[in-house]
Amino acid sequence: MSHPLVNLPQARSWRDIPQPVKPRTMSREGRWRLTTATLRATGLAAVAAALAWGGWIGTEVLRESPKKLPAVAMAVPVKSFELTTDGVLDESWLRRALALPKTVSLMELNLEQLRARLLAHGQVNAANLTRKFPDTLAARIAERSPVARVMAAANGGGAKALLVARDGVVFDGVGFDPAMVATLPWLDGVKLVRQGNDLLPIEGMTPAADLLAKARLEADHLYQTWSVVSLARLQSDHELEVRTKQGTLLVFDADGDFFRQLAKLNYQWEAFASLPAPPTKIDLSLGREVAVTFAQPPVAPGGGAVLLRPAPALVFPNFFNSQPKTKREL
Amino acid sequence: MSSRTTFIGAVEIGTSKVTVLVGEYTGRELAIIGRGECSSRGVIKGSVVDYKAASECTHSALEQAEREAGERIELVFLAQTGGHLEGFYNEAAVSVTASDNLIDAGDVRTVCDLAKSKELPAGRMVVHNIRRPFRVDGRLIPGSPENLVGQRLEVGYWTVHGQEPRLADNIHVIRGFNLEVRELVLASLASGHMVTTPEERQHGVLAIDLGAGTTDFALYRDGAPHTTGVVPVGGTHLTNDLSIGLRLTDGQAEKLKLRFGRASAQTKDKAQKVWLDGNFAIGDRQFPLLAIEQITAARTWELLEVVKKKLGHAFSPETCAAGVVLTGGTAKLAGMAETAAKVFGVPAHLGEAPTWVSENLRDPGYHTALGLLYYGVSAQAERATPARRSRGFLTGVKRLFAST
Repeated sequence: MSHPLVNLPQARSWRDIPQPVKPRTMSREGRWRLTTATLRATGLAAVAAALAWGGWIGTEVLRESPKKLPAVAMAVPVKSFELTTDGVLDESWLRRALALPKTVSLMELNLEQLRARLLAHGQVNAANLTRKFPDTLAARIAERSPVARVMAAANGGGAKALLVARDGVVFDGVGFDPAMVATLPWLDGVKLVRQGNDLLPIEGMTPAADLLAKARLEADHLYQTWSVVSLARLQSDHELEVRTKQGTLLVFDADGDFFRQLAKLNYQWEAFASLPAPPTKIDLSLGREVAVTFAQPPVAPGGGAVLLRPAPALVFPNFFNSQPKTKREL
Repeated sequence: MSSRTTFIGAVEIGTSKVTVLVGEYTGRELAIIGRGECSSRGVIKGSVVDYKAASECTHSALEQAEREAGERIELVFLAQTGGHLEGFYNEAAVSVTASDNLIDAGDVRTVCDLAKSKELPAGRMVVHNIRRPFRVDGRLIPGSPENLVGQRLEVGYWTVHGQEPRLADNIHVIRGFNLEVRELVLASLASGHMVTTPEERQHGVLAIDLGAGTTDFALYRDGAPHTTGVVPVGGTHLTNDLSIGLRLTDGQAEKLKLRFGRASAQTKDKAQKVWLDGNFAIGDRQFPLLAIEQITAARTWELLEVVKKKLGHAFSPETCAAGVVLTGGTAKLAGMAETAAKVFGVPAHLGEAPTWVSENLRDPGYHTALGLLYYGVSAQAERATPARRSRGFLTGVKRLFAST
């Protein structure tokens, strides 16, 4: 048990004298010693770094070069797979896609060939295969996400629903939730070109993908009503046509700002929601104007003619202020 | 200290010469493997007054020692002397806290902290805290008082302190060679430990190191250092007196001192004369031997009287049964032991290194450097592993001192 010692005066010891190394106060031999000590420390650090680098390189070489490995390691057959993916594919798909013989060992695999085999699946955007000794093949995969569906003729006759990615690649969707797939709009007005057993990517898919992504993000309630997206007039008029489930045709300017067009559509959609029959066409590709077409003149519930409101100036958030400036501001 | 081999440099920056010894310390044993010496410059009375000159000669001695050892010194034990060093005694007492009066480590730590807690004037720094034996209810305890039974625990510390700039100057000279000063050891303690035996220290002994610029002394009682001190007078003052008294240059006076100087006048014949050089060359002349002896004897007597006066009541013939042991270059003056015996009233003799020190290191000029290694290593070991103190840590050290 110790006594409490409070505020005892503490005398400074010679050990409190700092011992800095100041080259100014050093002799020639002292400076030489300092230099050699520094060089020695640097050399040791360099040797340690070189050893670490050499070890890493050696590991890589052994991993990649079958000849550097002992025969025992080369003879072990592949037993397990490790799949790392950012999507929905699973290990059983990987096994099916690679279709490796049962007795093949890691060292017998041609990784480039297997990678090409994986990339042949449209859903796989990027793939990387590595050996993990003694018996594991690791695959790291980046997948494509579908933005639309397309109906294509199957090889054996009949039609088959395929998925379309943002970059226009058409692929069989594997592992996707059917409920999610059902929400995707169909793609129309595209020309599917077959090359061998595969379909070539659809051209001009980017603006359609942008429109769909923007709609899904900013106006999901509108997106849910979309049934078909047509690229038929994309090349000629730079327009994208969307057919809603109610039968309304929406025309978007493919070169315009989709956010503004969606905002205008949202306003019109709310304005006509109370009408018994929706418009047959809403053309949003006319700049500030919106052309709305009805099959019949709209009739109010009381029997009188509907007084259509002129579209007010759109009010956007502050960061998106396109209001014309006042005279004084000008 | 770790168990790996460490190359330790013991450096004494004296007024007349710089001495460096290189010790190879394996954690259990110490062997001296190199030696370097250089005439000192830029040092007066143990203090650095010309940094560049002092650095050059010290670094030259370090280089020489490293060359002879064939190894690089890793750390340095540095001897410290000079007139700026002073000491004082402070003691403390605590009541034992345990109900059964069993002294525990906390009691020991508390009483030690209390005894060491003394504020120093501005610019002063502690060089050594030298503990005197514990007392339990007035009973002297040579070792640790832990687990003994008693009501009152007392301890005292002899604290040696010095001026910060002077201490820093010496350290910076070593740092200029890119070496770390691990231990600063009082020169009197270093040499005192070499020339006195544990038995002498137990009975009480006064070790006086008569250097060129300073005279360091350490009084031992009950096996531990009791009082230390430095008198800023040394062999160069004898030379200076001869130079003035006989109208000689310093070099000539030094030559006469070494050849004919005595600590007690012995010659009866007033007419007896001695030649300065003895080679009958131009400028060679004769001096009365009695005058030389009288000058050196008077100064020596005065010097030893100053030491006695500085010791004051701490020294008495009754508590210094083992007498006086003299070491250092000036102690080689003829008749020094007889004069010391007369001044202090106790037997006096010239100190010798222990028998296990090899022949080429037995000169009194090496006693301080040898003691530095001896004392510094044991101080380091005590700090690192206090539990090993009682197992005679330095038994291995002693054996290998004679290896060179």
